[in-house]
Amino acid sequence: MKEWIIETKGLSKRYKGRYAVSNLNLKIEKGDIYGFLGPNGAGKTTTIRMLLGLIKPSNGSVHIFGQPLNKDKLSILRRIGSLVEYPSYYGHLSATDNLEAIRRILGAPVARIAEVLDIVGLSKEARRPVKGFSLGMKQRLGIASALLGNPELLLLDEPTNGLDPSGILEIRELIKQMPKQHGITVLISSHLLSEVELTAGTVGIIRQGELVFQDTIAHLHQQAQGSMSLVVSEPEQALAILRSHGAQAAQSGSALLLENTGDHTIARIVKSLVEHNHAIYRVEEKRKSLEELFLQIVGEGKLS
Amino acid sequence: MMHKALSADFLKIRGKGLWLLIFSGPVGLIAMQALNYGLRYDYLMQKYTGRRWEALLADIQMFVPISLFLGVTLIPSLLSHIEHSTNAWKQLLALPISRGTVFRSKFALSIILLTASCTVLAVGIVLLGFSLRFELGDMPVGQILKLCFLPFFASLPAMALFLWLCINMKNQAIPITLGVLIAISSVFTGFIPGTLSKILPVNWPMLSIAGPKQELFVGTGFLLSMAICLLGTFHFIRKDVI
Repeated sequence: MKEWIIETKGLSKRYKGRYAVSNLNLKIEKGDIYGFLGPNGAGKTTTIRMLLGLIKPSNGSVHIFGQPLNKDKLSILRRIGSLVEYPSYYGHLSATDNLEAIRRILGAPVARIAEVLDIVGLSKEARRPVKGFSLGMKQRLGIASALLGNPELLLLDEPTNGLDPSGILEIRELIKQMPKQHGITVLISSHLLSEVELTAGTVGIIRQGELVFQDTIAHLHQQAQGSMSLVVSEPEQALAILRSHGAQAAQSGSALLLENTGDHTIARIVKSLVEHNHAIYRVEEKRKSLEELFLQIVGEGKLS
Repeated sequence: MMHKALSADFLKIRGKGLWLLIFSGPVGLIAMQALNYGLRYDYLMQKYTGRRWEALLADIQMFVPISLFLGVTLIPSLLSHIEHSTNAWKQLLALPISRGTVFRSKFALSIILLTASCTVLAVGIVLLGFSLRFELGDMPVGQILKLCFLPFFASLPAMALFLWLCINMKNQAIPITLGVLIAISSVFTGFIPGTLSKILPVNWPMLSIAGPKQELFVGTGFLLSMAICLLGTFHFIRKDVI
């Protein structure tokens, strides 16, 4: 039996008759990095706000650490660090004072402030007022605030928004380490698959408020099955041979495309073509990229 | 939990000019009278012989309600603005702290700041009387304290109301406009005759220092403010934070 850190059942939020999130059943395993994907406006932020108790669900339930959120909200929130959408900060205060304002409520040790500033690489800027920070620095401060209370669960809503490529890489590395080094479970939302592809173990894809895919990233890779392309000297005759082997093939120029074909079939086809004196120039596997698959899922709402 | 929230709130108002506002209100009231006496010192000393302290208090008293109404509008607005400006509510309320505590902490901080203001006024009156060479032996300490603190209690319902409005509205122009309108109208609503004048909470700060049954207006003001604070908390707890 897996230990679910987050489990929602039939979670829905209705705004003026329209469902922003509908019937969401999230399951997030302990120690996992869960990539929560969807285009802008799909309901990611609304879901995260409901997980944090900022918004009350219209229907459904949220269990975090096995406890019901509507009953044990404060004890659950004590174990969560979060960054919701754009970073929130007090512009007139320095980075240290911003963290101090949060620390006083959390009751974390004072030394923790320097630790988290060091983790996100803001130690040198700690004394400057935050209003002079770049967006990337504010985002890092947001992540520092999320880490301040030594959380067991991190909810990060588009944490790499506004960061430059090296910043994105740094944050990605930072997030990758969380489960390994500290046993933290992470939920990270994004509208880019490439963003979470390298970090997440599991992905959930939300489209117009509905969860249309939830499985491991390895499974998603399998879904992105490739097709084989054979480039031969006489495509018309070769196509006839392929069909005689029962393969689903189509001709495109001098290339023949085969969908979902197993290794054995390919071997038989190639052998047969060689025996019939066809010259085979290329045997290529064409993989559908994950990004294409993702766009297909968010476009159609299902896997083909 | 409350002291944690308050100590965080005290940190957040650093460098926001709130303390300046707290001091400038009462200092302004004192400066006005200092000017009044400075311009016609001999005449006023002559005119008010034997009741100089009372005359000074009566002059200041006229401006206390309007200053208080401005204070109970601006302080909650500035406090809320700190959270509104970068939408820090979503960060604050995702911390392990109840929304009721957050609301009550802002209410308590507003009371503490304005109490500081009232204290500055009391000290200012004493210093002004001293520098105008009033008879120190005649100083009506009780009257001074009453003037500085009782109207504040009577204006607490307005503060609770404005805190509720300011916390819920991102656009502070609406509560501030309302507050300024109430402050200005408080100068004139005292002229309404009969019981209506006593029912209007906008008159309570004045009625708490002038006229009969002063304690009634102080007490009712305090109770009404608690009721409004309770309603505000109840609403804030149920609200969706977007």
